[in-house]
Amino acid sequence: MRDSNDAIAWPFYVGSALALIVLVVPVLIVILTGLNAGDYMTFPPQGLSLRWIKSFLTSPTFVPAYLFSFGLAAATMAIATVIGTMAAIWIQRRGGRLAKILRGLFILPLVLPGVVIGLALYVFLISTGLPLARTFYGLLVGHVIVTTPLVIATVTAALVDFDRSLEDAARSLGATAWQAFFRITLPLISGGIGAGALFAFIVSFGQFEVSLFLSTPDLQPLPIAIYTSLRYRFEPTAAAAGIFAIALVVTSTVISARLVNFRRLFGGR
Amino acid sequence: MTEIRLDTLTKRYGTSTAVDGIDLTIGEGEFFSLLGPSGCGKSTTLRMIAGFVTPSAGRILLGDDDVTALPPEARDIGIVFQNYAIFPHMNVAANIAFGLKMRKVGKAEIDKRVREVLAQVGLEGYENRYSRELSGGEQQRVALARVLVTRPRILLLDEPLSALDKNMREEMKFWIKDLQKSLGITTVYVTHDQDEALTMSDRIGVMERSRLVQVGTPEEIYERPATLFVTGFIGHSNLIDVTARPETEGHCRVHFAGADFSARVRGALDKETPAQLAVRPENVIVDAETLPDGVVAFPAKVVSETYQGPIVRYRIDIQGTTITAERQNQAHRPRLAVGDAVLAGWDPARCETLLR
Repeated sequence: MRDSNDAIAWPFYVGSALALIVLVVPVLIVILTGLNAGDYMTFPPQGLSLRWIKSFLTSPTFVPAYLFSFGLAAATMAIATVIGTMAAIWIQRRGGRLAKILRGLFILPLVLPGVVIGLALYVFLISTGLPLARTFYGLLVGHVIVTTPLVIATVTAALVDFDRSLEDAARSLGATAWQAFFRITLPLISGGIGAGALFAFIVSFGQFEVSLFLSTPDLQPLPIAIYTSLRYRFEPTAAAAGIFAIALVVTSTVISARLVNFRRLFGGR
Repeated sequence: MTEIRLDTLTKRYGTSTAVDGIDLTIGEGEFFSLLGPSGCGKSTTLRMIAGFVTPSAGRILLGDDDVTALPPEARDIGIVFQNYAIFPHMNVAANIAFGLKMRKVGKAEIDKRVREVLAQVGLEGYENRYSRELSGGEQQRVALARVLVTRPRILLLDEPLSALDKNMREEMKFWIKDLQKSLGITTVYVTHDQDEALTMSDRIGVMERSRLVQVGTPEEIYERPATLFVTGFIGHSNLIDVTARPETEGHCRVHFAGADFSARVRGALDKETPAQLAVRPENVIVDAETLPDGVVAFPAKVVSETYQGPIVRYRIDIQGTTITAERQNQAHRPRLAVGDAVLAGWDPARCETLLR
């Protein structure tokens, strides 16, 4: 039963509806543009066809870029998840001023403009002469820097809910510190770790600014490939590539939502 | 059955001292309560015994074993936490089996012992439940079963009743006490609740500001509080300003409102000194006409009356000093009226003189 108080909520419904439209409409436009039958990116599409989908699937630039982004995102996710989880746990357990300072530093890549991070890393690699500039590993480092804070944030959120006396109880029952961590702590914060890993993957897959500075013509992630393509030809193949990117992100979110209870992480409980 | 010995056990955090040189021996099979207000160091003491906090100085001995340097998992101690700390991702059976698995007990033996301990705590058929499906009392039983199944040397209980509602708390108080007695396991019970400590304990240690200020049976603690703090913390007491003069060892001559009588005192006094006489409200006897023999009696006046069901509480004025008296609400004893002139007094043998 709804009571009359719900009437107060109508501005919220309107706000949510607007937000949803703003978020969803561009995605729909990309999808429809990718299915365009015409020669150029136009909206509304001049009829529907799989012409540009075919063009994407046979493209000598987009397919390798797509696979490269996938591999880069997977590697980024693996590294960021391990580093981020360890950092979050250490910061939380350490406490005090140092932990506060470190927490701030770790969140920095989230608030700094990506262009600044990309440029800074590029200048750093070139000027120090490290053999990482213009290599896959240099790009990977850049992606790990931008995604690790996401893992730290989600794991920290999970740790706030984690009751340390569970670990104490396990220790007292005969578990070593490692056993208590792997059997009690890790399973109970796995939701936060899973969510962080997913965010790391998605953010890395869509990362543009950092990649712009660190990628090379033979190491092109998908967003850079789309950008490059659009600069020279206004061809719907780029939109078709967008469809595949959206499909990947949606699929990975759905799969992880099955594995991880997001409601717990975002306060649904 | 293991004796616990704490030898000048101390914990300092920077410049502040959380636990200050505790010397204590808890006997085999004894139910010992550490009682005190929050922040008095009782929980830190318990956590040092459990091995979660490393002492700054002193030793902890279980029987003849010095466990001071051992990690928690090597101490063979069972601890029940305030919030029970049931592993939420494991069902009841897996929770209880955890300690046995860590000890590499075989599967068949684990199953058998889990069943046995569930029967012991009255939770047969609860094997597949999760903590979120259990009431507070049931979680408490699971937490106890989980430690008892490992047959620990000693049992530590950290405010285990504070998260329960009042009725359940009353029930669990006696249940835990009975279980402890039947197992004969040495138990340290941390609480800030004097009722729990008085009803459950063989002995109580009262802590105040990092120190153990008095150790004794519930009766000793209640009847003969050693300090003003203990007097105020355990139950209610009238604290009456009096003058005390030296008498024999353990007694002094107390002067109050024109009367002179002998009362107990701790420590020696060498000259006349101001002191406070602690008299429990239930030991203040009030009557309209006569008081029994041996009671120091004063003419007094009823100032106010508070009806509390089984007892009636009176505020009584004795020559400008107001004290509280409690009387059983019994049919054969007529209630007193406000403004009545009455006799009030106490048996000096049931008072304690506290020096400042």
